[in-house]
Amino acid sequence: MTIAYDVTSGAARRSRVVGIVRRDFYALRGNGGRLLEIFFWPVLELVIWGFVSVFLRANNVPIAVSMLLGAVLLWQVVGRAQGELAAMFLHDVWSRNLLNVFVSPTSLAEFLTGHVIFGAGLIALSTGVMSGLALLLYGFGITTIGPALVPYLTLLVVMGWGLGVVSIAVVIRFGESTQSVAWVLSAAFQPFAAVFYPVGVLPPVAQAIAHAVPASYVFEGLRGVLDGRGIDWSGVAMAALLDLILVAGALAFIAHALRHARRTGRLSKFGE
Amino acid sequence: MNVLTVTGLRKRFGSVVAVDGVSFSVGAGEVVGLLGPNGAGKTTTLHMVFGLTTPDSGTVEMFGHDMAHERSRALARANFAASYLHLPHMLRVGEILTVYAQLYALRRPAARVAEMLELLELGPLRRQPFSRLSSGQQTRVLLAKALLNDPGLLVLDEPTANLDPDIADRIRGLLVEQAATSGRAMLITSHNMREVERMCHRVHFVSGGRIVATGSADELAGAYGVDDLEAVFLAVARGGVPT
Repeated sequence: MTIAYDVTSGAARRSRVVGIVRRDFYALRGNGGRLLEIFFWPVLELVIWGFVSVFLRANNVPIAVSMLLGAVLLWQVVGRAQGELAAMFLHDVWSRNLLNVFVSPTSLAEFLTGHVIFGAGLIALSTGVMSGLALLLYGFGITTIGPALVPYLTLLVVMGWGLGVVSIAVVIRFGESTQSVAWVLSAAFQPFAAVFYPVGVLPPVAQAIAHAVPASYVFEGLRGVLDGRGIDWSGVAMAALLDLILVAGALAFIAHALRHARRTGRLSKFGE
Repeated sequence: MNVLTVTGLRKRFGSVVAVDGVSFSVGAGEVVGLLGPNGAGKTTTLHMVFGLTTPDSGTVEMFGHDMAHERSRALARANFAASYLHLPHMLRVGEILTVYAQLYALRRPAARVAEMLELLELGPLRRQPFSRLSSGQQTRVLLAKALLNDPGLLVLDEPTANLDPDIADRIRGLLVEQAATSGRAMLITSHNMREVERMCHRVHFVSGGRIVATGSADELAGAYGVDDLEAVFLAVARGGVPT
């Protein structure tokens, strides 16, 4: 009996995915600053928007606290999903470990799956903490959104992961100097995601872009649900279709980026 | 039986031909050196062997698996360490080895990690983050990682660069012993000719992307009419030819 499972067996694939998850867990545990960062920005945003909504309500501006806080809570999911996926990849780049992973039998799919699983845990944790704070500080319970919360969260997480894969692919394709893309990509989509305002207030060109962004259907739907209009299933279906296109495109892009990096020798540069 | 067969590898980066028709093989239990001056194409060749760089032409077969189509199968039985690669800085030594034991899908990862910690004398460092280790300690961890899956082929790119002579000698001793006891094949690049003389059964000299001389250290010294491998290196680097 060899000391390892057959490389194509289910046990070997599970082992490699668990290895990536374990690596992410150890890396986070060993970096207190990053742990703080995961909660700092979303909590700061929650606190600021919470007080803004309280102020507006006190001045008789007709706005629902639940809409602002619900939007803040849900939007952080996109940023967290994208940012964490990119950060976990960049940690391997910064520590000159990436080539060690690529000379192991770990496939790109296993590598991404491991990061995605760990990222899902982080999203659940940060969303849980923020939801608790929103309830504690402003009396807003995330369950107010009702059953729509499940499809909405899923659609936003998948969008974040799609963007996360795109940001990794950009760094692989164009080199380390483009890593700032990892920090700004989800934010670049925020104006078109209709997080705090309806798509209708955007100029026509921006509206056209917004209609191609899955999150815009989620936030339009969220406002409808909180207004008591029920779930807009056609919006959910449209967002799901756009998510599917985004993820398929992102996977095709990262596969292309990796082929290009191998052909041009750029992948080897990640070891320097 | 060859564990590695490289045939006609060629790689061009822009106008520079980095590797120009390199062919060689490594037999089971054989320790082969790939030598040459900086920029000769050694590292590019090793990276093509592991599929990190795609060759413009040529093939790499590892344990009978074509690297272009059966990469995972081949990589499961090989390993690689290089002086320019590190491991995750924040992770502790024991954690790093546990992670890699899982990436190589070992059946008993904890037991194998314990074996490697003992073999490389890393036990007292197992709770230390990689970033806090000295260069010599980091090299030992990299070697522990490279030996985890008991590879049939171990490829080392300048394994003792940046190490003091004492630590470098210990690591050479360990690698020679490992090769002798396990029957493991090794492919090594190094600028330390004494290291190569001590470790390698056969040496390929690379210059300008081509293999320009092949043989044992003694055969090469004889062919170039010099005393040792260092003199062969200088002769090759300065464009000399066998006498």
